[in-house]
Amino acid sequence: MTKGVKVLIGAVIIIFAAAVVLAVIGLKPSESTWVDIVQNNKVIYHLDLSEEDDRTFRVDFPDGGWNDIQIKDGRISIVDSDCPDHTCIKTGELRSENIPIVCLPHKLVIRFSDEGAGE
Amino acid sequence: MVKKMFVLTAALSGILLISGCSQKKTVSEVDMTSKSRDVFAMDTFMNMKAYGSSADIALSEAEKRILQLEEVLSVTRDTSDIWAVDHSEGSEIEVSDDTAIIIKRAIEMGDRTHGSLDITLYPVLKEWGFTTGDYKVPDDKKLQGLLREVDYKKVNIQGNTVKLPKSTEIDLGALAKGYTGDEIMRTMEENGVSSAIVSLGGNVQALGTKPDGSKWKVSVRDPFAPDTDMCIIEINDKAVITSGNYERYFTADDGTVYWHILDPEDGYPADNGLVSVTVIGDCGLDCDALSTALFVAGYDGAKELLETDPSFELILVTDDRKIYYSEGIADSFTNISGMEAEVISLD
Repeated sequence: MTKGVKVLIGAVIIIFAAAVVLAVIGLKPSESTWVDIVQNNKVIYHLDLSEEDDRTFRVDFPDGGWNDIQIKDGRISIVDSDCPDHTCIKTGELRSENIPIVCLPHKLVIRFSDEGAGE
Repeated sequence: MVKKMFVLTAALSGILLISGCSQKKTVSEVDMTSKSRDVFAMDTFMNMKAYGSSADIALSEAEKRILQLEEVLSVTRDTSDIWAVDHSEGSEIEVSDDTAIIIKRAIEMGDRTHGSLDITLYPVLKEWGFTTGDYKVPDDKKLQGLLREVDYKKVNIQGNTVKLPKSTEIDLGALAKGYTGDEIMRTMEENGVSSAIVSLGGNVQALGTKPDGSKWKVSVRDPFAPDTDMCIIEINDKAVITSGNYERYFTADDGTVYWHILDPEDGYPADNGLVSVTVIGDCGLDCDALSTALFVAGYDGAKELLETDPSFELILVTDDRKIYYSEGIADSFTNISGMEAEVISLD
């Protein structure tokens, strides 16, 4: 095997590997880390989950009621609320762009924000 | 020679690299600015998104229309048409055009699905506690008594005049959101919007395409893991409406799970092999009615619909964890679940 052939094979392997890696990255769903916490159509928080410290904070509903929102390891969820059905808590962590966390009685929505928004 | 081959190979790989993973969207002159609006109505969360310069006005008008429809269609508000009909003690009641349209279509759909859709099931639904959240398995005798009054054929409607027997009550819950979707689309168009998408408690309806001409990607939930998506379909100008057993259910003390879609036949949760039915079509009202009816009718009933009316497309999930979809959406259907998916074969 000549040196040239070796280099050629090496180069092809490297390029192929790079292509595979990039293709895999490209196929991964573009998951936004930006979320909006919206209360009755008003964005009250616009957060980049990848930058936020782990914490739990309370959002009060002006007509009465509250939700405790938790940010942990770059994920967001409602962990406690005084609403009657607790659907918002049962939803768990925000995962899908199509399925927001909603607390109907408190008109509160947590969802991924549109691409590029606020950046 | 070797050098030449190297250059050639590198160039080819480079081309592959570029075409394989960089699908950069070209910035076009299309107006992609959108406005979004949340509406909390009809006991559910609604989100509307509209594109173009008249989006704001259209969204406000659409919101007004939703609240107006809620006012007449609600089964619990004592000012609604439905309340008036349910408390009429057998006398004639004049209802709005909206209510009359939905009742008439509900009766048609009842006929078409051999009674799988029945708007007079309301007293049975109440007895189960699905209307209040105070769930309980009804006493069998009580259930039989209530079932005697259940039959959508007892609903008499002439023009806008509705007459119900004294102990029969109706509820348009299986159709109201579908009709609302249609009316939102109409309101958007009337206000100069040609590109919009709405989600009404999980039911999606789209007007036109996205402003850049591409189709909308709509996901359907996995009934076995309702916080995740099961499949994605691409649509334009269509309603995508799902009825699933995961939407409202309770577990009894003995561990049995009971869900809110009842079989008019016996008053128990419909258990005919399907756990989720998605109907895709032009008319939200029809799709909403059919998703409930086909959930009750089961796989064979769904197949019968496809054979008699090719204007609808379906995605069914069976209780043994299989997805079946109609051939018409084969090109736009992407399964992202761990379940097997196959085309519904028609005879």
